[in-house]
Amino acid sequence: MNFWFAVFRQAGRNLRQTWTSQFMTFLTVSLSVLIFAFFYLIYTNMLGAGDRLSDDLRLIVYLEEEPGPQMQEQLRRKIQNFDDVEEIHFISREEAYQRFARQLGENSDVLKDMPKNFLPASIEVIPLKSLRGYNQIKLFSEYLANLPGTEKVQYGQEWVERFYYFTRLLTIVVFLSGTLLILTATFMVAYTIRLTIMGRQDELELLKLVGATNSYIRTPFLIEGILQGFMGSIIGLTALYGLFQWISSHFAGPGLLSLFQFSFFPPIVIFLIILSSICLCSIGSYTSIRKFLRI
Amino acid sequence: MIEMIKVSRTYDPNITALSDISLSIATGEMFFLIGRSGAGKTTLLKLICNMETPSNGLIEVAGYNINKLKGKDLAHLRQKIGVAYQDFKLLSNRTVAENIAIAMEVSYKKPRAIRHRVRDLLEQLQLVDKHDTLTGELSRGEQQRVALARSVANSPRLILVDEPTGNLDASTTKRVMELLTRCNKAGATIVIATHDDSIYQQGNHRIMELRDGNIHSLTRGQLS
Ligand SMILES: Nc1ncnc2c1ncn2[C@@H]1O[C@H](COP(=O)(O)OP(=O)(O)OP(=O)(O)O)[C@@H](O)[C@H]1O
Ligand SMILES: [Mg+2]
Repeated sequence: MNFWFAVFRQAGRNLRQTWTSQFMTFLTVSLSVLIFAFFYLIYTNMLGAGDRLSDDLRLIVYLEEEPGPQMQEQLRRKIQNFDDVEEIHFISREEAYQRFARQLGENSDVLKDMPKNFLPASIEVIPLKSLRGYNQIKLFSEYLANLPGTEKVQYGQEWVERFYYFTRLLTIVVFLSGTLLILTATFMVAYTIRLTIMGRQDELELLKLVGATNSYIRTPFLIEGILQGFMGSIIGLTALYGLFQWISSHFAGPGLLSLFQFSFFPPIVIFLIILSSICLCSIGSYTSIRKFLRI
Repeated sequence: MIEMIKVSRTYDPNITALSDISLSIATGEMFFLIGRSGAGKTTLLKLICNMETPSNGLIEVAGYNINKLKGKDLAHLRQKIGVAYQDFKLLSNRTVAENIAIAMEVSYKKPRAIRHRVRDLLEQLQLVDKHDTLTGELSRGEQQRVALARSVANSPRLILVDEPTGNLDASTTKRVMELLTRCNKAGATIVIATHDDSIYQQGNHRIMELRDGNIHSLTRGQLS
């Protein structure tokens, strides 16, 4: 019989003796993993959607006058003064008209009576991919609006703004639920282990007297913590995966959700969540061992 | 096996439980410790197994200064010392077998070997039918024998026994002493604290009488 056999047997005895509080702890840990992972999943998916949105992001600068070649060159330089950009297209009145007509398709005959220059000329600016974040885009658009001869700048402000604030809110929620996870996991585990230790003072005392080494006495409690962390996170993540499957099968299809292309965590994130849950629970049990196991 | 040099133990409100005890017990000896209630017998045994620390003096067990030992070394030495406490220290919500097994589990004996040893000891002490009884439900005399069984279970080199026969009738006392004698024959050093003159009168073991924490006499029993 070796050390690990003895340690696992001891841990099993602990579990049997205090299984109700162990079970409550296990539930609490899985629930907090579930809550945290749920918000974190939404958060990562939002970020993904944000990336896709900003891939499509373009700022349209409407101009008062059709710029001549010289003017075009000057505007191009001024735009690039602010920041490098991916692309700049000048769209003349004529081109704008044709685009519009193409978009109308079969209904394009409504344009028949309109003069070909009723649409304003514009510049289409595609910012660099590095230009992220609401504030930067806003700054850039303000800069563009102040260029000579511009009428207004459009980039779907409202959408970007709302999206931005929603992501901000989610960041806070993820942060809070992460804190919740940390607190509940460590404290609940510390508490149950404390309970076990208190309930078994006699035995621990006796073990010491008959010559049990410190690790013989301590390791089972540490194992309990690790087990709580492992089982709790596995169950929490499994529950989330179930929920995820249910949502994607019920709300799939075209519409808003298709923009998000919901995807579950990649294996590395799953691994990290499990690992951190294990770490937190071990820390919890370790503090209890330190505090209450006077050996 | 045991060397004590000028060992004293005082408890807080200036109670002197032991004063200036010097004593040497050889390996393989069976040694009796007698004296009135409160003479300091239990205190002496507790000092030897490092449950208590001496206020003064030096105690060596198996060549180790037992008060300087820490951690693993202390644990390993304790595995070689079996103690039957006067207050038994049994886990009342565990069965007899589990209580005895504890002493062997800490030194990683195989479960099969433990089962055999437990059965064997229970047979010798006439407790076979109590194998699965919780020790909290046993009589004092039965608990006493379980405590003794636990102390010898791991075949320790040194066995300290505090009042092994206080609650036992003559024939059970005889069985207990037979078990201890067998352990002694197998090479274990044994120290027995007792009031019971029936167990130390026979044989030519050394007998030390304590009185108020001092050595009153050190004699040999009469060979019968
Ligand atoms: N923890 C303690 N705190 C204070 N005094 C103690 C403590 N333990 C023992 N004593 C005192 O030390 C003295 C010796 O006690 P000890 O238990 O060694 O006696 P004993 O010879 O074993 O007696 P008995 O035969 O009744 O078991 C007693 O006067 C006792 O009151
Ligand atoms: Mg005593």
